[in-house]
Amino acid sequence: MVVGLDGVPFSLLANLKKSGVIPKMGSIFDNGYFGKMAVSIPEISSVSWSSFMTGKQSGEHGIYGFIDLEPGTYNMFFPNYLDIKARTLWDEIAQNGKKSVVINMPATYPARAINGALISGFVAIDINKAVSPPALIPKLNDLGYRIDIDTAKARHDPELLFRDLDATLNGRQHAVDLLWQEFDWDLFIIVITGTDRLMHFLWTACEQKDHPYHQAFVDYFASLDDFIGRIYDRFMNADASDTDLKKIYMLSDHGFCKINKEVYLNRWLQENGYLKFQKNSPETIMDIGSGSKVFALDPSRIYINLKSKYPLGTVDRKDYDPLCRELKTGLENLKSDSGDPVVKKVYAKDELFHGPYLSAAPDLVVLSNPGYDLKGKVNSTEVFGRTDLEGMHTQDDAFFYSSTGAQIKSIFEAKEMICRSF
Amino acid sequence: MEFDEIKRLTELSLTEKIEHAKSIITEGLERFSHDELYVAWTGGKDSTTMLWLYREACNAAGKPLSRTMFIDEGSVFEEIWELVEQVKNLWNVEVAVVKNTDVSAKAKKMGDLIRVADLNQRNRAEVANLEFNDEFFPFEPESFVGNHLMKTVAMNVFLEDHAVKALSTAIRWDEQQARVKEQTFSPRANPEHLRIHPILHFKERDIWDTIHAHKIPYCSLYSQGYRSLGAKGSTFKNSDIPAWEQDLENTPERAGRGQAKEQVMAKLRDLGYM
Repeated sequence: MVVGLDGVPFSLLANLKKSGVIPKMGSIFDNGYFGKMAVSIPEISSVSWSSFMTGKQSGEHGIYGFIDLEPGTYNMFFPNYLDIKARTLWDEIAQNGKKSVVINMPATYPARAINGALISGFVAIDINKAVSPPALIPKLNDLGYRIDIDTAKARHDPELLFRDLDATLNGRQHAVDLLWQEFDWDLFIIVITGTDRLMHFLWTACEQKDHPYHQAFVDYFASLDDFIGRIYDRFMNADASDTDLKKIYMLSDHGFCKINKEVYLNRWLQENGYLKFQKNSPETIMDIGSGSKVFALDPSRIYINLKSKYPLGTVDRKDYDPLCRELKTGLENLKSDSGDPVVKKVYAKDELFHGPYLSAAPDLVVLSNPGYDLKGKVNSTEVFGRTDLEGMHTQDDAFFYSSTGAQIKSIFEAKEMICRSF
Repeated sequence: MEFDEIKRLTELSLTEKIEHAKSIITEGLERFSHDELYVAWTGGKDSTTMLWLYREACNAAGKPLSRTMFIDEGSVFEEIWELVEQVKNLWNVEVAVVKNTDVSAKAKKMGDLIRVADLNQRNRAEVANLEFNDEFFPFEPESFVGNHLMKTVAMNVFLEDHAVKALSTAIRWDEQQARVKEQTFSPRANPEHLRIHPILHFKERDIWDTIHAHKIPYCSLYSQGYRSLGAKGSTFKNSDIPAWEQDLENTPERAGRGQAKEQVMAKLRDLGYM
């Protein structure tokens, strides 16, 4: 069994465990290995979970972000489940006839038939395309199953946020109950994504004990603990021909921390003369203007506007390396108003990626210091800013738990470890 | 084309739309000889409807039916081959099946890795142009290198070898946002030829209305719920009811081949992306 907790930091779980908020997870973690884990760069769900499910990095599975460009153009598209080029965990074990149930795994939309059942997670927009086999759709609808909370409303309305988080967690519980019985599964995967939403919208409620929603934040983790306790007990009490086969893994796809400032990379590129837009209020990167040398895509991917690659390309091959070095130096020296270094490291694509889909990789990827949330937004007037979002992702503070005591240090190692059980 | 003109054309009655398409086709037939003009036929609903329009226009002009070019990108649905065979016999269509066999011969199945160095000079040059420097690429029509070699290169080589001067394709304005800028007659370079787009102004509903009204054959996959057909490995059903009975106006045609972009963007924005 695999339980994914989207965005939950190791450090937060360790604190909640110590303070007794999550007694059930606490006792689970005491039996086995519970530790810190690094994730993909960029540290976002679609890339990180794709790396989990395939055991590969982006150059091999082809997913570099929520948004990508069609080759040779500035046309955006949204890579989805059908674009993942490497074999997933459940496809792998299906070759040995093993059945999987996969619930709410991000980056698995639209659903396709697997040996077992799959309910897609973020960014799934239509339940009718998010469930395989489709016969489950009416049952899930009857159970009040929801793909996600209403993020548009909940972002601005904490009361609604907590109501939605509870309703969604309830729906997941019903889906677990339904699929647990309907399928004679060998691998059961459930991912909770409410955690990520809560921490994006109300991270300060976690950190500040006198915050009006601090208790609600803690209560959500307590109800999550109940949820996990229930499936854990059910799993341990279930009949199995061989109890050695009962293995539990838990993990997150990135950590979280408080946003100090959002950092708009395209604005920085504009101010430093690397990027121009065709209009004053560009809407997407498709509005890139002639004379541009570099552009960025969410959240931290930098692309050199090569002559040979893009319609408005200006950069010659021979100038590629010097330009990359110049950008690396420039970004690594970027300081906030308070003088803090914003960037931890700028990676060249070869440092992070390899494989058949390397040609689609960003030329550079920026890893920021905690507190500086990098964005690929195109219409900002300042390099630094804030929105109502409070929490941002971290790359080195995800967690991993195994009941077997087996340890891994990065999310790329999880698939192979789990596959070895089958 | 100006927005007002696009609006006018897409709001014509079906009879007027068919007449407009035929007039475009007739103009193409006058400008190009039988040897110079090809119709790109995929076996899908749009290009089969376009082929029917060519048949009508050619008959009216007393000319032989234009030749067709069919790209086999290595992952064609069996049901598409069946439709092509059926229509070919029914209307006596001349079909040139275009395939990049230098690439396809080196793979046994989808996903097999192909070594770039094993390819012929043309394909190697094309891969180099993509700035693809790896030793291998996977044989998948919808992948970056695969798509280029199996579709674009296969087509370009055909156009060059047969000195094709005009190629008619069945794109429609309402099919994809990106196509709104397409013109009826659109010159292309490398190789130089003219694209003719006779049914830009047809909506998805118009296609089905034309097919049913004129008993044009269509691929059986549409009856099963597919609405837009691409490569076999990457095309999915939108629903279990026939394409023409689905809510064509309010649901995305190409959802089985991609996603409803706007909804995804909104969702991403809520979490601070975009």
